[in-house]
Amino acid sequence: MISPATGKGNGTGPVIVVNDLKKRYGDLQAVDGVSFEVKRGEVFGMLGPNGAGKTTTVEILEGLRKADSGMAHVDGIDVSRDPAAVKQITGVQLQTSAFFDHLKLTELIELYGKLYRRDVDAMKVLETVELTEKARSYYKPLSGGQKQRLSIAVGLVNDPVVLFLDEPTTGLDPQSRRHMWDLIKKIRSGGTTVVLTTHYMEEAEELCDRVAVMDRGRIVAIDSPDNLVDALLKTGFRNERKPRQATLEDVFINLTGHSLREG
Amino acid sequence: MRIYLALITASLKMYFRDRTALFWSLFFPVLIMVIFGLMNFDRFSPPEAGVVDGADNQASQALTAALGGAGGQKLLDVETGSRQEMLDKLTKGDIDAVIEIPAGFGTPGQISTVSVAYDSRKPQERGIVSSVLEGTLEGVFQQVAQVPEQYRVESRFQVTQAEVEGKGQGYKGFLVPGIAAMAIMQGGLFGVVFTLVAYKTRGILRRLRAAPIAPSHVLTGQIVTRLAVSMLQTYVLLTVGIIVLGVTIGENIGSWLSLSAFAVLGGALFISIGLVISGWAKNEDTAAPVANVISLPMMFLSGVFFPTSVMPDWVQTVSQFLPLTYLADGLRAVALDGASLTSQWAPLVGLGAWTVAMFALAARLFRWE
Repeated sequence: MISPATGKGNGTGPVIVVNDLKKRYGDLQAVDGVSFEVKRGEVFGMLGPNGAGKTTTVEILEGLRKADSGMAHVDGIDVSRDPAAVKQITGVQLQTSAFFDHLKLTELIELYGKLYRRDVDAMKVLETVELTEKARSYYKPLSGGQKQRLSIAVGLVNDPVVLFLDEPTTGLDPQSRRHMWDLIKKIRSGGTTVVLTTHYMEEAEELCDRVAVMDRGRIVAIDSPDNLVDALLKTGFRNERKPRQATLEDVFINLTGHSLREG
Repeated sequence: MRIYLALITASLKMYFRDRTALFWSLFFPVLIMVIFGLMNFDRFSPPEAGVVDGADNQASQALTAALGGAGGQKLLDVETGSRQEMLDKLTKGDIDAVIEIPAGFGTPGQISTVSVAYDSRKPQERGIVSSVLEGTLEGVFQQVAQVPEQYRVESRFQVTQAEVEGKGQGYKGFLVPGIAAMAIMQGGLFGVVFTLVAYKTRGILRRLRAAPIAPSHVLTGQIVTRLAVSMLQTYVLLTVGIIVLGVTIGENIGSWLSLSAFAVLGGALFISIGLVISGWAKNEDTAAPVANVISLPMMFLSGVFFPTSVMPDWVQTVSQFLPLTYLADGLRAVALDGASLTSQWAPLVGLGAWTVAMFALAARLFRWE
């Protein structure tokens, strides 16, 4: 594993500390006593089936939802006490969100910069996510992958300590997904801690320094992907399929190339 | 402050770049106004005459009845009142002519001088009133005064005519401020509802919530933009009314300021109603019908296209408390009669009360998602 770069923010302790977090919706205990820490500068993955509580946990950390009980600190700030301060130092990419239409991408980025009380060089931000050729376009005509990259660009306007990505590659074709992986690695190497949720295990293996596996509102395992696999192998588990040196996705990429296919 | 400015600038930009919004809030009301204005509904109703009965005898009453058509085909729309009352109405344009019957009208052996005053702007009505008067006078004299037929009628009465410079602007004058009021209603209501509900369902509000800003930042951006649109609509519609329909509006800068005040207050009211709906509604499918149910009846009950006086009494009673009635009445009084804001305290208070109530309700109901 790559050793995490020195992260941004205050001090050197864990950037996120969550302790016994709970959130209930009616009859559903969506988050049921979750505790974990995220180290400064790492890519931390939250895995789990639909309804496991990943998104709710992340949204509490983003200051979008209030926990019923428990503690959540981001860079030393108590999220329930001062959600605005947490929002100020975090970047988010939400699962179902969109941006104003009838604004050019540069205008959107500058507008969001101002919402975070920053003057942003929009072209520079668009360069980071490789969207400069769409700078003068509106939001609506962008492709799915471009919208996702814009969403990340907007998440970067405040040079965040932590960037939250909720299923950043869901619905993308393999080229766009790999592109997104490269982008996330680039963001990490800049010192930003990344917390992402995903359904794709190969994505977690590729990107995450550590992952938490959630099920029914609880964390059932938390460690680096390698250690989790080793632990499973120690129990005597063996995959029926013989491991091969390439996957079907490698074949696909080999046949269709790495370049992005976007209108 | 910078956040407010950034969001206001952004939503103004978005409004002017959104062709659909421009069409419905500006082009469409202009189109409706010009079409209805050119139809000129004035022609379809008989002229209105005010009769000042200085005689109050059998003959004068018979004449008054005869002018109105006496139960047969309606000749003139007749109302009676004092001389001053009627002349005021003539000047304001509420009626087209004043017919004054002298004391002792119809007394045999005496020449009665009936004087008629016309609105200088209405030559067509003048012709009709003049010919109706001559025709009926003849009949009344023969019937009531029982003048033998061999006497020439002219020897019994004469008609003097005068012109009054009327300020009335007929149907077009009535229509233009009415359409401005309607446009403000539609713009405020539907503008806010469609924008905010789309923001809500598409997840735009969700993303804004993740930024370190307050809901009031976003709502202020919306409200200021919509208020600017209300004013723009008013100016554009009145200007088109002046240029295309030949209506005279706003004799001084003061009346344009008063018109702006009504545009802003009316805008604030319908924006608040829009906020109530978009705060409550989950999506476009629930929001649009409610917005229509609120706006459509008002379009017909608040005297936008036709005066409420043609409606049944109970409808008029309801109508006078409707938000759009206050706005249309206020705009009309300022635009046509040059009324001052202070004289229009009633519609101002009405609009203010509705705005406060609706804004309070919106504040209670508003949800981000």
